[in-house]
Amino acid sequence: MQKIFKTIALASAFLTMAGTAFAQYPEKPIKVIVGYSAGGGTDVMARTVAPFLEKYLGDGASIVVKNMPGASGQIGVTEVANADKDGYTLGTYNLPGMMARTLDRKADYDASSFSYLANVVNDPNVIVTSKSSGLDTVEKLLAEAKANPGAITVGMSSLGGDDHFLLRKLQQMTETEFTIVPFRGSAPARTALMGGHVAMGILNISEVSAFKDEINVLGVALEDRSEFAPNVPTFKEQGVDLINGSMRGFVAPADLPDDVRDTLLAAFEKLKTDKEFAAAMKATANPVQVVTGDAFEKLNADLLDFAKSVWEESPWR
Amino acid sequence: MYSDLIQSLPNVIAWANIAALVIGVLAGIVVGAMPGLSATMAISVLVPFTFGLEPLVALGLMAGIYNGAMYGGAIPAVLLRIPGTPAAVATTFDGYPMAQQGKGGYALQVAVVSSAFGGMASAIALMLLAPPLSRVTLLFGPAEVFWVAVFGLCSIIFLLGGNVTKGLISACFGVFVSVVGSDPIFGNDRYTFGQLELLDGIHIVILLVGLYALPPVIDLLESPLKTENSAGDRLGTEPIWRTFPQMLRFWKTWIRSALIGIWIGILPGAGGSMAAFMSYNEARRSSKTPETWGNGEPEGVAASETANNADTAAALIPALTLGIPGTAVAAIMLGGLLIHGLQPGPMLFRNNPDIVFGFMWQFLFGAILLVFLGGSLATNSFAKLLKLPRPLLGSVIIILMLIGVYSIHGRMFDVYLMLGFGAIGYVMDKLRFPLPPVVLGLILGGFAEENLRLALRIGRGNWMVLFQNVTSLILVALTVAVVVGPMVKHRLIDKKKAESKG
Repeated sequence: MQKIFKTIALASAFLTMAGTAFAQYPEKPIKVIVGYSAGGGTDVMARTVAPFLEKYLGDGASIVVKNMPGASGQIGVTEVANADKDGYTLGTYNLPGMMARTLDRKADYDASSFSYLANVVNDPNVIVTSKSSGLDTVEKLLAEAKANPGAITVGMSSLGGDDHFLLRKLQQMTETEFTIVPFRGSAPARTALMGGHVAMGILNISEVSAFKDEINVLGVALEDRSEFAPNVPTFKEQGVDLINGSMRGFVAPADLPDDVRDTLLAAFEKLKTDKEFAAAMKATANPVQVVTGDAFEKLNADLLDFAKSVWEESPWR
Repeated sequence: MYSDLIQSLPNVIAWANIAALVIGVLAGIVVGAMPGLSATMAISVLVPFTFGLEPLVALGLMAGIYNGAMYGGAIPAVLLRIPGTPAAVATTFDGYPMAQQGKGGYALQVAVVSSAFGGMASAIALMLLAPPLSRVTLLFGPAEVFWVAVFGLCSIIFLLGGNVTKGLISACFGVFVSVVGSDPIFGNDRYTFGQLELLDGIHIVILLVGLYALPPVIDLLESPLKTENSAGDRLGTEPIWRTFPQMLRFWKTWIRSALIGIWIGILPGAGGSMAAFMSYNEARRSSKTPETWGNGEPEGVAASETANNADTAAALIPALTLGIPGTAVAAIMLGGLLIHGLQPGPMLFRNNPDIVFGFMWQFLFGAILLVFLGGSLATNSFAKLLKLPRPLLGSVIIILMLIGVYSIHGRMFDVYLMLGFGAIGYVMDKLRFPLPPVVLGLILGGFAEENLRLALRIGRGNWMVLFQNVTSLILVALTVAVVVGPMVKHRLIDKKKAESKG
């Protein structure tokens, strides 16, 4: 109730000011387009971030989440790319998916269509094996892969995603060969692994932290160990320099007005140090790594380059 | 863990949580009863609001809606031959003929009691057996799930109807629709004509509403001035305490259908409609009077409605323990759980017993509430539906269909697609092509293809991977039995006849 009063009070204040002063952004609700259904991972992230963003934008800013599911998020992100460049339409953004789609499908957007605001979640990949496979270390896994090329079946979610790219990196670095079994999403892949139907799985750390007793988690593709599973060593520690993960963040259409862009970046910047925010994200299984503005844009460009190299060498469709 | 079960009870019967459940069940019945609006949709609309609610209030609403909608779908299925939800297709087989004979009220009572029984059985399975049943789920890898789909297709071959050729054409049409979209392994576009809206395939509700709801509405409007009452316009309802004893003879069907529903529920991906079809078929096969089925046999309504409610809580078993939802609704509920910091997995039961077991109680109470709320609602309010003037009733249904289909993804494209299917459905109806094989072809076709291709990748192209373990072989044997069994039976009967004649 208090919030409604506040909004009304603010609105009327703005109305009286409108004739004399230039109203400051944001003066109306900001729409955040989520390319997936309500209740999905990206949606939960957006809705968890929203109240903190409102707090840091100040002045009774309000954020409205709008779900536009379909085509693995492509419908939503295309809408964002083509939206008005006034800062009142933002969207969620997934990597490497959104860039990979510009390669393997006809897309009405490209890397230059967006203002890169902030990446918020970095969910690193993990390699897991079933208890019954007996492959409980990276060393054993690689030895088996070298002895019998292609004999190890790898459950993962669809091709052209972070799981697939991790496997590509692994195969290149270690000159091994695996057989890919792409399930619809990570949970079915994990279940097939637990049932022993595939030998190995590539998942993300948030997807295995509740299943540590049921499967072997061999390593995490991060520079330093993850707080989600501090007992799991990085691949770097084990001599394979694998860094990869699934990222989720926020973008706006390209060429925002400077003052709007600065206001948004400043608000996202404050998420980095907010303890309450970190706790809320951890509770919803989202490993946080806030990267804003130009650094996020560079991250995107690097991922696009890698995806291009994979696509040119061995297109996955 | 059973002490946790008892300890969570006081929380569940707090008034706010009970109120949430009651509202949920009522909302679910209404949503389920409207063609085009499904439980999946209602719960996904609800999810964003649950951020601000107490966990058990939010989950109570969801459990109530799920249970309510599974029964609610039976109401238009019986009264108008329009299944309110995909899982209610099998309910039309006998429910609508009963309504035409002036026994619509009894059909709805059978539906509500059977739904409640199925829901309770399922909730109890979830409460007591979730961890061991999740082990069963693990036995089913892609090869085994492929055989489940084949078994499903073979065991319901009777749905082809009197004319086998027409039935097969219908089934092929359904399978063709399942092919549209990006392919399950490589993601290549198939029959999408560059439309992003088609990449995820065609949503079952779009097809169902077009095929099933539009033709009856057109029928309704073809004779808008018909004023005399036919038998079908009366419900002939007797008080439920008088009709209930008559239903007790369905006890075998109730138990069998509940078991089938629970089994299908713990296998991810199949869903309530397959449960309803299979249990209808099994009940018909073991009936002493199979010839009355399809002409208003109340036991057929009981079979289908028990199974589609028995699927509900059971679908949460793999969802809660393994993170793989058995149905689309369970998938959205997982999102609702995640919002409250409840991550699926084996740890869930240890870390948050109060909420998880509370949620299970809510499923049980939701099923019980169904009898009270569904019973009076169905017999009193919805009965008045049929008294509406036909032009009004027809236009109300059309509006609901448009809203329902639009709200799946919030786009007009789906509405046009639905109208296209409506035109096809109208022609099929006039030419007497059976509709159920289309629905089944769509559900099981995609299911079979995806799992066959996954299995073949696991076997690296070797087809023997399909026969490599006991679970697969049992399913192959069952499939052969349902295909060959009836033929052998016919032969034997013919032989006997010939002998007795000679």
